[in-house]
Amino acid sequence: MPFKRDTGWYKDAIIYQVHVRTFFDSNADGIGDFRGLTQKLDYVQSLGVDAIWLMPFFPSPLRDDGYDISDYRSVHQRYGTLDDFKKFLSSAHDRGIRVIIELVANHTSDQHPWFQESRSSRDNPKRDWYVWSDTDTRYRGTRIIFLDTEMSNWAWDPISKAYYWHRFFSHQPDLNFDNPVVREEMWNVMKFWLELGVDGFRLDAVPYLIEREGTSCENLPETHEIIRELRKKADEQFPGTMLLAEANQWPSDLRPYFGNGDEFHMAFHFPLMPRMFMALRLEDRKPITEILQQTPAIPPSCQWCLFLRNHDELTLEMVTDIERDYMYDIYASDKTMRLNLGIRRRLAPLLDNDRRRIELMNGMLMSMPGTPIIYYGDEIGMGDNIYLGDRNGVRTPMQWSGESNGGFSTADPESLYSPPILNPVYGYQAVNVLSQERFDHSLLSWMKQLMRNRQSSQVFGSGSIEFLYPANHRVLAYIRQLGRETVLVVNNVSSSAQAVELDLRRYKGNILIEMFGRNIFPRIGDLPYLLTMGPYQFFWFRLRRI
Amino acid sequence: MAEESLLTDEFLRQLINVGEVDILVGLPTHNNSKTLPPVLQAIQAGLLKCFPRERAVIVNADGGSQDGTPKLVTGVSIDDVWSASKVYTLRTLPAISTEYARVPDHGLALRTILAAADLVRARACIVISPDSTTIEPNWIQRLVHPIYTENIDLVSPLYRRPKFEGVLMRNLLYPMTRSVFGSSVHEPYASEFSISGRLATDFLGKDSWNEEWGKLGPEISLTVTAITGKYRLFQAFLGNKAPVHRSAQDLVQAMRRTVGPLFASMDHDFTFWSTTSSAAPSSPDADPAEMSEESVRINRKQLHETFAHGVSQLEPVFRSILSSETISEIQRIAALDLAEFRYSDEAWARTVFEFAASFHKSVINRDHVIQALVPLYRGRALSFMLENRERSAAEIDKNVESLCLEFERLKPYLLEVWDGRK
Amino acid sequence: MKEIIISELTQALQDLARGFAHYLPRIAVMLIIAFIGWVIAYLLKLIVRNILRLSRFSKLSENAGASELLHQAALPSTTELASRFTFWVAWVGFILLGISVLGIVGLEDYTSRFFLFLPRLFVAIVILFFGSLASSFFSRAALLAAVNANFRSARLLSLAVRIIISVFVLSMVFEVLGVAEETLLIAFGTGFGALMLALAIAFGLGGKDLAKEFLEKKFATSRREEKEDELSPL
Repeated sequence: MPFKRDTGWYKDAIIYQVHVRTFFDSNADGIGDFRGLTQKLDYVQSLGVDAIWLMPFFPSPLRDDGYDISDYRSVHQRYGTLDDFKKFLSSAHDRGIRVIIELVANHTSDQHPWFQESRSSRDNPKRDWYVWSDTDTRYRGTRIIFLDTEMSNWAWDPISKAYYWHRFFSHQPDLNFDNPVVREEMWNVMKFWLELGVDGFRLDAVPYLIEREGTSCENLPETHEIIRELRKKADEQFPGTMLLAEANQWPSDLRPYFGNGDEFHMAFHFPLMPRMFMALRLEDRKPITEILQQTPAIPPSCQWCLFLRNHDELTLEMVTDIERDYMYDIYASDKTMRLNLGIRRRLAPLLDNDRRRIELMNGMLMSMPGTPIIYYGDEIGMGDNIYLGDRNGVRTPMQWSGESNGGFSTADPESLYSPPILNPVYGYQAVNVLSQERFDHSLLSWMKQLMRNRQSSQVFGSGSIEFLYPANHRVLAYIRQLGRETVLVVNNVSSSAQAVELDLRRYKGNILIEMFGRNIFPRIGDLPYLLTMGPYQFFWFRLRRI
Repeated sequence: MAEESLLTDEFLRQLINVGEVDILVGLPTHNNSKTLPPVLQAIQAGLLKCFPRERAVIVNADGGSQDGTPKLVTGVSIDDVWSASKVYTLRTLPAISTEYARVPDHGLALRTILAAADLVRARACIVISPDSTTIEPNWIQRLVHPIYTENIDLVSPLYRRPKFEGVLMRNLLYPMTRSVFGSSVHEPYASEFSISGRLATDFLGKDSWNEEWGKLGPEISLTVTAITGKYRLFQAFLGNKAPVHRSAQDLVQAMRRTVGPLFASMDHDFTFWSTTSSAAPSSPDADPAEMSEESVRINRKQLHETFAHGVSQLEPVFRSILSSETISEIQRIAALDLAEFRYSDEAWARTVFEFAASFHKSVINRDHVIQALVPLYRGRALSFMLENRERSAAEIDKNVESLCLEFERLKPYLLEVWDGRK
Repeated sequence: MKEIIISELTQALQDLARGFAHYLPRIAVMLIIAFIGWVIAYLLKLIVRNILRLSRFSKLSENAGASELLHQAALPSTTELASRFTFWVAWVGFILLGISVLGIVGLEDYTSRFFLFLPRLFVAIVILFFGSLASSFFSRAALLAAVNANFRSARLLSLAVRIIISVFVLSMVFEVLGVAEETLLIAFGTGFGALMLALAIAFGLGGKDLAKEFLEKKFATSRREEKEDELSPL
């Protein structure tokens, strides 16, 4: 059942990020698939999320976990068929869940037929579909993103006897978006999926679409032109389609990707995420408030995407050197955990499996201005395996039960696409959906309650934010407001009890109603409002004047 | 209790907001707006450069400034109200201020700072003088590092000074501390120093705060407490000592704040020092660099006259304090011409010891004992400056060492006059 | 005639004997009182001596300068003096009490006046003692302050302070004792006023150079020679 084309649905949504390969294996081949994902949609629905963001599932040699695409209009055979996908889509929509898919527009796999043709000869019609050069000196000074593996943004192609441009792995040649044919083709790809019923796209690596000499080859004006073009077509032909930008940039550099409300609907707020982790260990709200103060206003129809963790490493590109050193020392003292200027760990291990910290971080995620994304498995506190290569340690099979393979698959354990987590703390026998669903006080139950509270009010998704700056810098407090609805959020980011006085005189006369227990707190008067908070405790108060 | 009345409600509230810290920098002030800005900059830079991850706070204890000094201090805080002109830091750096009294009171200022350090459980507490215009950011590192890495309890400073600055320190305070207490702390009365949280808490609980001399010169009491309490001491070379211009009356005040508390400490800790042997020569972490050779014109004639005048006019007072031999000796010295003027190490040591004993026995009002020492100190200062006028810094150091050895040699004499055997 | 004389003589002797017999018990009582008084006075002396020793009175009086004065006058120490004084005052008091038993008119009056005088004497002694303590303290303080301020006539100043305070104290003592009260008050007032006037004239005219020097030292901002005092001693 296609959704009513509600053009602003993403602003109040909660998104669940999942990789079909990791979720559930229906055919015992050791790899998750669409049929399996479909079977687990009840679970996803029970979480209360509004949309699923699917990681790449197109055909691919899988040298970059599906981000190296070899066919834009199909489903990788390991995950099922296109029909399987259609069934999944339909089932999701039936449950009121939208589906966002990845569109890796910037580059393809070197196995993609387009590249195969392009490299075959200089006269090939698709030659110009990629960025070729006889030397590797063009666009000098452009930063390398995958520092751990790549030495250059140019790779020599022995077949073509020329260099091709790649901002990511060398087996992922960049498409040439200066070529209108490429742009047209990319739109056709989008159209293909939109016609199937997909509700939105996460466009991967958008800052790098265009290259120009003498620039950083990122965030160029021409890139925005392309986005506007795609957006316009989507709005005209498929209203309600959401475009989400994946651009690891400073907020001020991200702002242009919203345009005047005519480019992306949403963009990830990358710089905020590491600062949340930093604030927690520093026990000081400063990193969070500073970055949000520097975050520019965006068009009313647009929204930031907030997240704590995802399938990639916890990126430390958008922090200063001193901050990066601090994060490494605190969160990744074992260098095995570090990758590409980031930390490849899941949420629970990063927070030492401390339930209070996990709750606080999720509480902040759900209450700050933006659309929150939950990475699959973090709702039950899944662990990671830093000894798996690349970022595979955070992409282990979903843990459904204490049965063999964590209930993910009935295949032989050795045949799983990735070994499950086995240690006594995070292993599937200790951490799984089945056991947590049984208990009201499990993390899973708490997460569901949290999401319900968030969804009980549109103030979190669409409301304004005003920071209070109590003198106690260990407390992060802000007011969310939408129309006549006001919510006060107070977070103690320290490991010890705190007393904080809040200046709430503007709201004098309001009674505070704590949103989890729905208990009343004293009325706001003339004096500073004193709160005492336990370690890592947070409050959401609805202000009511009766 | 006295400690409770130290902290106003407002200051307590500020401390609650600051929370636990690792490093507390205390600034006792009174109308220091002229000299304070570079000091604050250096403190801030030192904290941010050397301890960017540590939780720090700057605490100002102000004695009723009228020139906006407290605002200068609080203005240096780095909080999260972001502004492009602010220095970047990982953490909030709070800077708070309290007016502990309407008029400056040295002891109360330090006590307030220590109380704050105790409440916020600071691991290291640094005290910086607001007049230290020669301060550099690395002073912070030098003062804190030993506490962090070697569990030191008191870090005492060493400075590079002009040749004839700190004469009282070198001719009386240092030799006395060394010979009496067996410790080679060169600056027992320091305007910059750091102490561990442990020592701060212990010292705060001492009775000396309620005693007249303890309140006047808490720095000396602190040093003596550290020595006698078996805390770990360290001396860190900082840099140039800022010159401070003083008037004649300041010498009396200086002696009240240093010599008086030192003598009073000898009262308290007799059991300790009467059985302590002499200290090993000092071996600080770094030798102070060459003193600056800037020439300072000394009015020798004036000093000589002051000394002689003091000796003759105060003879009735000296009769209560000094032995007849010592009185004869100083009268003999007072009669010397400027060219031959010399107040020998031995005579000076005896003088000081007899004064200490008289102070102990309260032969006259104790404050009068201290005041009576002032003209004699002037004579000794003159002798020191005449003797070392052409000497190099190393040679002066040697002479100071000889003086210390003389003090140590005469310690038995001190014990004799102390309990009245002489 | 002879019989009259003998009779008168006999009568006189009888009267005398009668009078004697009448007074003898009283004399005995008087002696007993005197003896008891001696014992009590002696005990008081011991008590006072011990109290004064415990409270370090001799040290205090040393500070007052009283000890030195007494020593120069070949008198015993203040503690001893005070305890002896207590002894004599107590014993004299008892003796007078004994005498009053005799019933001699006129003597009783003196006896009661003596006892009324005792508290004033005590107050006067206390004033004298603390006064001399204060005069010694302040004169020494003035001496030290003057010497340290390089004041030339430090001793003179100290002496002046001592004299002023001593005169003031003595005036108070005499007033308390009730000795020539009015004379002393006038004399003190006149003397004090004259002294102040003299000082003013002396300072204003005779000491104008000194005053100038003093003021220059305090307020002059023009170049001064570097003095040792401007070097930081610490």
